[in-house]
Amino acid sequence: MDDQPDAFSFGLVFDGQHVIVTVDGEVDLLTANGLGGVLTAMVRDGHRDLVVDLGGVTFIDARGLAVLATVATLATSNGGSVTLRSVSAIARRILEITGVSELLAVETARSGETKLGAEEEADDRLANVEEADGSVPVPSERVLARPSTEVIDAALRLVTSLAGATIDHADGVSVTLERHGQLMTVAATDDRVLTMDRHQYETGEGPCLDAKAEGRWFYIDSLEDETRWPAFAPLALGEGIHSVLSSPLVTHDRPQGALNIYSTTRGAFGTREQELAALFAEQASEILTTAARQVTDEESNQRFASALTARRTIHQAQGVLMARNGLSADDAVGSLFREARKADLTVLARASEIVASLRSAKGDE
Amino acid sequence: MPAIVDPLEKARRGLGLSVEDLWWRYFAIGGMSTELEIEAILYQALVPTESDRDMLAVALNERFSELGGDHPLPYSEDI
Repeated sequence: MDDQPDAFSFGLVFDGQHVIVTVDGEVDLLTANGLGGVLTAMVRDGHRDLVVDLGGVTFIDARGLAVLATVATLATSNGGSVTLRSVSAIARRILEITGVSELLAVETARSGETKLGAEEEADDRLANVEEADGSVPVPSERVLARPSTEVIDAALRLVTSLAGATIDHADGVSVTLERHGQLMTVAATDDRVLTMDRHQYETGEGPCLDAKAEGRWFYIDSLEDETRWPAFAPLALGEGIHSVLSSPLVTHDRPQGALNIYSTTRGAFGTREQELAALFAEQASEILTTAARQVTDEESNQRFASALTARRTIHQAQGVLMARNGLSADDAVGSLFREARKADLTVLARASEIVASLRSAKGDE
Repeated sequence: MPAIVDPLEKARRGLGLSVEDLWWRYFAIGGMSTELEIEAILYQALVPTESDRDMLAVALNERFSELGGDHPLPYSEDI
């Protein structure tokens, strides 16, 4: 599977009137910083009106939006502007939801011009999967939504059945995950492994629990000779199980669960089987990491929206202080910080008060 | 590595705040620099503007406040 992100690149075009920055590929944390640096430098170099062409963008996250919002604010405060060109319908919706569209001018994409959201333009998504140049557009869900638990579980079930089919002597495979503070089996190849997992949750001991707790693998060669889990071992033997191999599932260095392989054969899993198990555990971990990343993306979009609202309120308060006290922009911010500290309020809370006082003063007139 | 850790960076570490979290707080109160620039400032690879330094101090002080503490970081002299 090709998991390489689309290469990010940008180009500069002058059309006599504007500088047009064309952006291609993914705008994520690292590339957003690069883009922000270029655009900021351009504004500081005196290019007042920037045009950013997003036609080649396949992915943009909150960080990318934050950069655009920052550059737009900077350009505006220098008497200039930022215009976004070739914005796909989906990116446009994100800009509207987050309020960034209020900070800059947005030109809508012409049909077929953009990569992001290209699937919106055809009912049949499959027909649009491959573009003329062979690149594959990133599905919009990546920007807007996280994969459902059902999708994650289906992917994990695929891993368990592949592991069961590939690893010699594997008579059952399961994935245990901690969800809502509780261990549960989210994928299992058959009922016996479900029972095996349940025996471990109920006795509070077993290789699966230890793999999850300690983030390393546990192997039972022969349950009859096993002394580490005295309550679990007899229950497992009762099910006819003799070997167990539990490998940890890890995302961002934190164990999240375990991939468990059970066998009715004694000494079932040699070095080769253990290596294979590690590979499947890695695959399952990757699925979980991707899912977590998308959750993070969503959280980060929310964080971005509230940060932007705060910025707007503080900006308004700054304007009030400038007008009321004849202050420069910098002095107004300094004054706001000072007032907030004196009143033991956050800057945002003090800014809200200032904006509200202006509203009520207007109402009194 | 610089011998003396910047007071902002010392405060950030003390609060257990990631650079990313600090940047979001800084961004919310109107900060204009990117996260990489903020990181460079914290590691003293970049000299901050007075306004950037104040905004970072405010962002960190507000976190101290949330945890029931005082405002240990001073703002620039005009404040």
